[in-house]
Formats: sequence, C-alpha cells, structure tokens
Amino acid sequence: MCNLIFGVYAPSAGQMQFAEEAWLPPSPAEALEQGIAMVHQHFSLVPRMTVVENLMLGQARGILNRQAFAARISDIADRFGFVLDPNAVVGELSVGERQRAEIVKCLMRDPQLLVLDEPTAVLPPSEIGALLDICRRVADSGRAVILVTHKLAEIAKVADKVAVLRTGRLVAQADMATADMGQLVQAMVGREVKPLDVALSDSKAGDEQDEGSAEARPGFALVCDGLTVQDRHGATRLDNFTLEVRPGEIVGLAGVEGNGQSELGMVLAGLLAPTEGRYFIGETELTHAGAAAVTAAGGGIVPEDRHAVACVTAMSVAENMYLNKLDRFTRFGLLQRRALNEAAEVQMKEFDVRAAGPDVAFSGLSGGNQQKAVLGRELTLDPLVALVAAQPTRGLDVSAVEAVYRQIRAAARRGVGVLLISSELDELIAVADRIAVLYRGRLVGERPAEMGERGAIGALMSGQLA
Amino acid sequence: MTALALRMPDRRRLMALSIPFAAVIGSMAIGLLLIAISGKSVPDAIEAFLDGAFGTAFAFGASINRAVSLALIGLGFILAARANLTNVGGEGQIAVGGIAATALALWPPIAGLPLGLAVILPLLAGTLAGAVWGGIAGVMKVRFGTNEVISTLLLGFVALLMVYWCVQSTALLRQPQTSSSTLPESLPIPDSTKLPGLTGDPESPLHIGLVLCLLLALATAVVLQRSTFGLRLRAIGLNELAARRAGMPGSLLLVVALGIAGGFGGLTGAIMLQGEQFYLKAGFSSGYGFDGLVVGLLSRGSTLGVLAGALFFGFLRSGGISMEIMAGVPSALTLVIQGLIVIAVAGSVILVEKLEGGAR
Repeated sequence: MCNLIFGVYAPSAGQMQFAEEAWLPPSPAEALEQGIAMVHQHFSLVPRMTVVENLMLGQARGILNRQAFAARISDIADRFGFVLDPNAVVGELSVGERQRAEIVKCLMRDPQLLVLDEPTAVLPPSEIGALLDICRRVADSGRAVILVTHKLAEIAKVADKVAVLRTGRLVAQADMATADMGQLVQAMVGREVKPLDVALSDSKAGDEQDEGSAEARPGFALVCDGLTVQDRHGATRLDNFTLEVRPGEIVGLAGVEGNGQSELGMVLAGLLAPTEGRYFIGETELTHAGAAAVTAAGGGIVPEDRHAVACVTAMSVAENMYLNKLDRFTRFGLLQRRALNEAAEVQMKEFDVRAAGPDVAFSGLSGGNQQKAVLGRELTLDPLVALVAAQPTRGLDVSAVEAVYRQIRAAARRGVGVLLISSELDELIAVADRIAVLYRGRLVGERPAEMGERGAIGALMSGQLA
Repeated sequence: MTALALRMPDRRRLMALSIPFAAVIGSMAIGLLLIAISGKSVPDAIEAFLDGAFGTAFAFGASINRAVSLALIGLGFILAARANLTNVGGEGQIAVGGIAATALALWPPIAGLPLGLAVILPLLAGTLAGAVWGGIAGVMKVRFGTNEVISTLLLGFVALLMVYWCVQSTALLRQPQTSSSTLPESLPIPDSTKLPGLTGDPESPLHIGLVLCLLLALATAVVLQRSTFGLRLRAIGLNELAARRAGMPGSLLLVVALGIAGGFGGLTGAIMLQGEQFYLKAGFSSGYGFDGLVVGLLSRGSTLGVLAGALFFGFLRSGGISMEIMAGVPSALTLVIQGLIVIAVAGSVILVEKLEGGAR
C-alpha cells in the first residue's frame, strides 16, 4: 500500500487521489516532488557520515553549505519539538535518533503527506511516545500523516482516523473518537481472540488450570554465571550477569533495549565469547563452544534480529527450517532435497507456517510466519533443554504473537527452561513465571510476574532502584 | 541446467539467448569496421581470425587448450563466488601452480615413476600450491578481516614475481647457464611428465586436460546444486551470521572456498605447464587468470555458462593472435575488439537478468 502511494509500484486496478487530483506517481522521485514523503522501515542513511551529510546527499546541489544545512535541520527539529544533533555520526546514533533523522529528511521537503511504514517496530518503548508526539505535531502543522503499525495502542494514542488492513483488504474504518477497540482488534485478526491480545490479558491462569501447572523442576536448564561482555572500546555492555533457569520455568528478562540484551543474546547463541564468566545449558559448559555446540547441547535460540541472525531470507523455507540440521538430509555429501522438503512440509503444518510450499523463498513469508518457522526449527531440537527467545514477537501481527506465546508455553510445560528477553513488560507479565530486570548490563532485581508488580518492575527498568 | 533456462517461459528464453549472440555479432561488426578504418584488409583479417581459431587441427586444439585454462579458473571463481567471495588472484594461483609443477616434474625421481604418477604428482603439487595460495587469502580474511579482492590480487603479484625469481636463479629453477645467452627459463620437463595427448594425431596439441576440465565442471555443478557443502557455501555467502548461528563453521568454509578456487588456479598452472609450455618462463601465466575471472563473472554462477564463456574466449584469443600475426592487425586493436566483445556480452548478461527479473 505504502509503495503504491509512494510510486514504487503501480496499481493493477483502481485509482488514487491526492490533493483532490488523480494520483499515479511514476516513481518515488516524482512522489517526493509532489509533496509525499515516506519514512521506510529500513533507513537509508550512510552510517559513517554525519546527519547533515546524510541529509545533504539527497538534496544539496552545487556547493555544500554545511552550516546553513545544519541550521535548517535544527530548525525543523525545534519546530516539531525534538532534539537532533546535525553533526552526530549516524552510526553512533540510537535507532530512535536515526529515525528522527529520516523524518527530518522528509520534512525538509515540506511534504503535504508523510507516510511512516511501521516506524515503531524498530523503536525501544521509551522512544515510541516521543515518535507519536512528533507525528501529532506534524499533523497539527497542517500536514497529513499516515502511520502504519501493528500496535493498536499507538493508534489509540495518536490517530484521528483508523483503517484496518488485513491480507490486502480494507476490513474496517472508523473515527478514533467513536471507535470500538474490541471491534478493531477483531477486524485485525479476523477471528475472535481473547480480549485484546494475549500480552494484555492475564491468560496464564487459564493455561495452568487447563493443562496442569508448570512446576519448576530440580536441576538447571540454563545457568549464566557472572557473564561479562566488554565491547571493542572497553565499555562494559554486560556486567557480571548471573541467572539460573530451571526446567519448565519461563524467566522473563525485562529491560529497556540497549541495556545489554543484545550482547547477552549473542553470548547465549554462541556467537560472541564473553569477556568473563561462564554459562551452561543442562550440564554442558558452552562458554567458548560456539553455536554448533549450543545447538547440540539443546539450546534453542530465537535471536532478536530475525533477518540478520535467524535466517537466510534468500533461501527456501525448507532450507531455513533445517539450516542447523542439514546433516540429517545429507547422504554421500549430497543434499536429499526431497526428504528435506517433505520433512519441512510436516513441520510447517505442525507450527502453522503458512507458505505456498517448502521451496518458496523465505523472504516471501510474512514476519509472523518467518518467526513461527524459526521457532519451529529451534523447538524441534533433540534434546531441547533451554530456549532463549529475544524479542520474539516484535513486528508480528496479533495472531502470530499468540501462536508464539502458545509455543513457548507448551515448550515450558514439556520441561524446557525458557529465558524470554523482551522490552515489552506486558508480554513478560503475561507469559513469564518470574521477571528479572536488566539495567545498564546489570541484573538489578527480580520480581514475580504479576500485574501488581508492574510499577516496581518499571522502576527497576528505568534504573530508579538501581 | 541453468536456473535461467528452467524458469523462464519459452519466448523470453529465446530472447534471453539471442541477446548475447546479437551483442557478440554487433561488437564483431564494430571490430571489423575499426580494422577497415585502420587500413587493413577486412577479408584478410577475418580469414586470419578463423584460421587461427579453428583453421587447422593445431589451431583448434590450441583454442580448446586455452578454453580449458579459462574454464578451470572460471569454475574456481564461481565456487568461491557462491560464498560471496571474489577471487581475483587466478593469475598468481596459476603462477604458483606452474612453479610447483615445474619443480616436481624436474625432480629426477619423479620422471621414472610408473602408473602415470609422473604426470599426476606434478599436477597435484600445482593444485596444492594454488590451494595454499588461495587459502592464505582466506586465512587473512577470517583472521584479520582483509578483503579477499585485495589479498588475492596482491598475492597474485607476489606469485608473478616469484616466477621471475625462480627462473632467474640457478639455485632455483633456472636451467644451468652454459653460455651468456642462456635464457632465464627452466629446463624443459621430461617427456614422462607431460600430459598425454587426446588424439593420436601428433599435430594436435589437444591433451587430457580437456577431460579433466569436463570432469571438474561436472563435479562443480554437482557441488553447487546438489551438495550440502554447496548449500552451506550459499548460506555463508548470503548471511554469514545466520549461517554461523546455524552451527556452520563459517571461518573454515571461507578458507576452504578460497582454497578450492586457488586449487583450480594451481591446477590450471600445472596443466598449462605439462600440457603445452613444458618449461617455466617469466610471464608464464600470460593473462589467463584475468581472462578466466571475466569468464567466471559473465557466467553468473552457472557451470555451463563457464564452459560456454571459456570456449568463446579461447577461440577469441587464438583468433586474435592469428589476426595480429597473419593480417598485421595491431595487437592493441585486437585487444580493443576483444574488450568491445566483453563489454557487449557483459551488458547483454545484465539485460537478460533484467528480463528474467521481469518474468518473476
């Protein structure tokens, strides 16, 4: 949809109107020219250049006047109520700041319409509010804003009107003032789900009644003992991190993003050697053992960055679902492709991965189906002792979120120890048994996963009790 | 066999195939025009070209031998390219392969070995030397993050200078200096270490290297399309981090991939020495590494593409040399024409890619 408005694709049928005229931009450049600007989900900034230099790339002609340009940037930032250092190097900025740079880039052209494609999917929660404020201010300045998002709460906070798209169809439309949230959610998922999404409802109790309590068993599934990671510049990203997860237990790790979760995830995945400390899955020490050994010891890993770490998007669904088990389908060095595809088909059914077939490209799947495939791959390890899932529901639609939670809970009931790393507190409260909080690389506290602890956990996350 | 041929509808396929042909014919026409402008006789030039490329059994065999060298380099290139590695060091890998093969072939005990070992061992030595040369670049990449384009290229220059060194120093491979006019070359290798001919015809230089090359092409196709190793190379090439996460030995795969590419280069050097040249001299590799690189690039990762490209460039090179000698077309002009053809082919390959993209 965004691509149509922005002129990347042309519609096969139908027409658009913009500023009361028929609208069919031949190219993004033309769309920009006519006053439509778009912030893409993936930024187009050169990491090694400063903000000014990046923004000048698209717009400056002839002799470069850095100062004047920087002044314009600060001016725009001021006008819409945020701060952006024009001389900062983009690579050193946070995601939120980079996104602001992108927004400024759009605003410099003084567009009539600003399209934001899932801008909050990449943001830590602390920065989402600020982004929504910016949207509001841009809209108040007389421009139209289209905000594409999976999260209804954001819409509720900022939008005037809401339209719901599902599988390419417009299924609902409403004025925000009069909209019924329950109906919108239903329109989004296309079937009745438990009130809002699982993250917001405390459905744990229901689970336990139905299927028996997940009693923590003796012994440990995952042990982190004093893990410390220092980056290249000597900064401590993870500081003496010690945590034990018992079989059958779901431990939530809360924290605002950028407080050491990524480093912890990389260490546990076997992709980063800790500077100090050790860790075990079951009885096996894996501190310096590498990713293959983690898999062999029964460590299932759902990385936070799906595209960069979990899958090879240009390869097929089947290849991705068995990326770590290719040996099983190898005879005399040759890949038994038919057996691989058959196995993948079975597994796709089991984990509800919807795709045209096992040999379509992984990149053609929706984020939710990709994540279900990755989860399926990791949950079918034999043995499976521990599961480390980092931000497993980010960017997923509501029904995929539900499926991911269901799988994680089912794994725990089978006796797998789960470490769930997330920056969404509601998600952790809904799914985890207890919640540990990470702040500036340190474990600053631990609380039971109950709604009543929300405030206390929030305080820990923001470092107030540290 | 190529993905291209399988996926596209017939009409597009026809177009895709005809574009490169049209490009070649067009650029050849421009080439002939250039010859006419330079004042040489065009018919003479064409005759010389055809003579040199296919005219005699000798010319034909020589063209095929050239194609074999180009194809081997190209095969190594596409294997490494599968792991997203660009091996531009073919020239140097040929050189070290040639040095190693010469050294072993001239080592007295080798010539007397039975069962073809006198031929096989120098071939293996050349392959091994090339593999080490490529592997060094691989180790540099995984250890220090050195870009393999730079390391393979620079190692290539080192290898070329090593050839000079070897043929200039009697302590190494230079033939004994009996007079002041002794050339800086090695002794010719013994007959028993030379590659056997393919035809009974002593006029034809065609040798067993062709068979070797075709077998290796088949093996490469199987590895790339059917083997788990090939799939792993692809995974590493597309997303190294995800491949490592899936437990693949990333560093090892990268070193091995460059090692194999280098091995192909080394083997090429040994085949050139034992099949045609028979002694080592400066400038031994004479550009095959770079031409082979072009063949690999233009093939877009397809084994058949490598073979086709190698044949084409093999004949082009033979014909060009003959045009230079027989018809007096300046060598610079021959190079210009060859360059034109390369650009035309490369351009048409991009065009075909676009067509293919549209078909999806």
